[in-house]
Amino acid sequence: MSSESTDTLDAKNRHESYAIDYKDQIERDILIAMKKPTPLFWIGLGISLLFVFWGAVSWATQIRDGLGVAHINNPVGWGAYITDFVFWVGIAHSGTLISAVLYLFRAKFRSRFNRSAEAMTIFAVMTAGLFPLIHLGRVWFFYWLFPYPNQRYLWVNFRSPLIWDVFAVSTYFTVSAIFWYVGMIPDLAIVRRFKTGVLRKLFDALSLGWTGTFKQWQHYNQLYKFLAAFATPLVISVHSVVSWDFAMSVIPGWHTTIFAPYFVAGAIFSGTAMVITLVVPMRKMFRLEKYISIDDFDKLAKILLFTSMIVGYAYIVEYTLAFWSGNVFEAAQFIYRSIGDYAFFYWLMITCNVFIPLTLFINKLRRNITYLFILSLFVNIGMWFERFNIIVMSLAHDYDPYNWGFYIPSWVEIGITLGSFGWFFTFFLIFAKTLPIISMTELKEEVE
Amino acid sequence: MIKYSFQDKKKFMDKLKDVYESGLSPKKVRVILPHPDHDVEHLVEEYLPKSKLKYFTLVGALAGCILGFGFTAFTVLDWPLITGGKPLLSWPTFVVIAFELTILLGAIVSFGGFLFLAKMPDFQGILTPEDHGNEYVIQIESEDKK
Repeated sequence: MSSESTDTLDAKNRHESYAIDYKDQIERDILIAMKKPTPLFWIGLGISLLFVFWGAVSWATQIRDGLGVAHINNPVGWGAYITDFVFWVGIAHSGTLISAVLYLFRAKFRSRFNRSAEAMTIFAVMTAGLFPLIHLGRVWFFYWLFPYPNQRYLWVNFRSPLIWDVFAVSTYFTVSAIFWYVGMIPDLAIVRRFKTGVLRKLFDALSLGWTGTFKQWQHYNQLYKFLAAFATPLVISVHSVVSWDFAMSVIPGWHTTIFAPYFVAGAIFSGTAMVITLVVPMRKMFRLEKYISIDDFDKLAKILLFTSMIVGYAYIVEYTLAFWSGNVFEAAQFIYRSIGDYAFFYWLMITCNVFIPLTLFINKLRRNITYLFILSLFVNIGMWFERFNIIVMSLAHDYDPYNWGFYIPSWVEIGITLGSFGWFFTFFLIFAKTLPIISMTELKEEVE
Repeated sequence: MIKYSFQDKKKFMDKLKDVYESGLSPKKVRVILPHPDHDVEHLVEEYLPKSKLKYFTLVGALAGCILGFGFTAFTVLDWPLITGGKPLLSWPTFVVIAFELTILLGAIVSFGGFLFLAKMPDFQGILTPEDHGNEYVIQIESEDKK
């Protein structure tokens, strides 16, 4: 076996004994990640939990003292919280792209990333889902968002994009969770073989008694295909709905027809960057170089470059629409964006999302893992500021100069924002240690 | 129970073909695979029916769509409150809710259908898991059960 350990997966024409050995090897290699955590893991988890704690203290302060501790007020009533919401929903999208869209297109390299990208989707939606609640003045009434018979005889307003959001995001979470779990059932059945004691019982239960009979695989394949087919339009609808939270209003810079495709492309762009941010250290830490090759990263980098160009094009179209329309308020908003109070963040966004990703046209840089990792961090920063710029600049500078204002987040808002990163990474780190991080079944399928 | 185990897919498929062609009822043949395989799927589906999961998906999706339009229409008629000068029955805005519920119920009912058709959770399988590693297995029920 040792002599074969450096081989890649292109094993179609190899000897039969190799195939069976290789399948066993896949199981051992992937399950190494589930062994006892290293000190590095504990340090990572500790830092993440520290951020969660900071976020929790900040939110507790806001619940105790009221929304006044946040700097959102007139005219900027949506600030860091809604920025965080849109950012995290966006991050989620790439998971679905990789798991569902690339599945339907039969892109083989997806099997290296789909499990961790799907996990990322779920944790990102869980993070995003917190922000509308954090944004509420009285969070304990969050259930008013849902339509249920009540003594006031009132129903929610189904004509409001905010209610569409409730349905879109909760559907997205549910469908992504089902998709993730279903894809994992055969792998959970493999994991149970390697466990003892209570963990063995737990994985026995989680794998639902999976045996791998033809009938199970037959229905499983059908279900997976249907879920992928459902998730694909869903992912487009979710960020379109998020974009309509803005586009359905009359605020300059928001009320534009380009928002839905612009947001969807941006979401896939930022999500792909986050996949790179997560998978590069994971690959190194768990020695998965054999399974996640430079070629696979190269393909991710091409998705990143492609979506970056769509996003860059959308930025140009936004400007063109504003000036072409002849609407002075629209034009004034876009002049304000590039030379106004927040111009630094605007140009930071352009640099991170448009200029830096252009370097990915260079083959060598696309295949340089360290470079990709650093670039992905820039894209994450750029995409957070994209949402900040859209939300804050439009509200700070609308129609009436008397109404103009300036907003910077308070320590509570910054604390909750950083806490959300801690919350997300905590879940991801726990996932990486407790569940199979690459789909073993799909890798085995490729051997044949 | 007769059991054949193979490490090689080709040998397994040859044997499986022989078993099916021997005139034995295909329902008495239990096939176990380490991973999904299209070649095996094509072969077995010559003798066994295809998955009926699609009917569950269709029913779930249709139910979600009807619920989406029906529920939104019901709520605005139940308490007729004009907002934003829009008609009570603003169908285009209800499309979003109907679309989301189509997908939500379609996915949930499909998952339920999968569990039903694949007979999962299999409590016997949870208590005493059956594991064949990475082997291809053919199990044939004994003739006296006929």
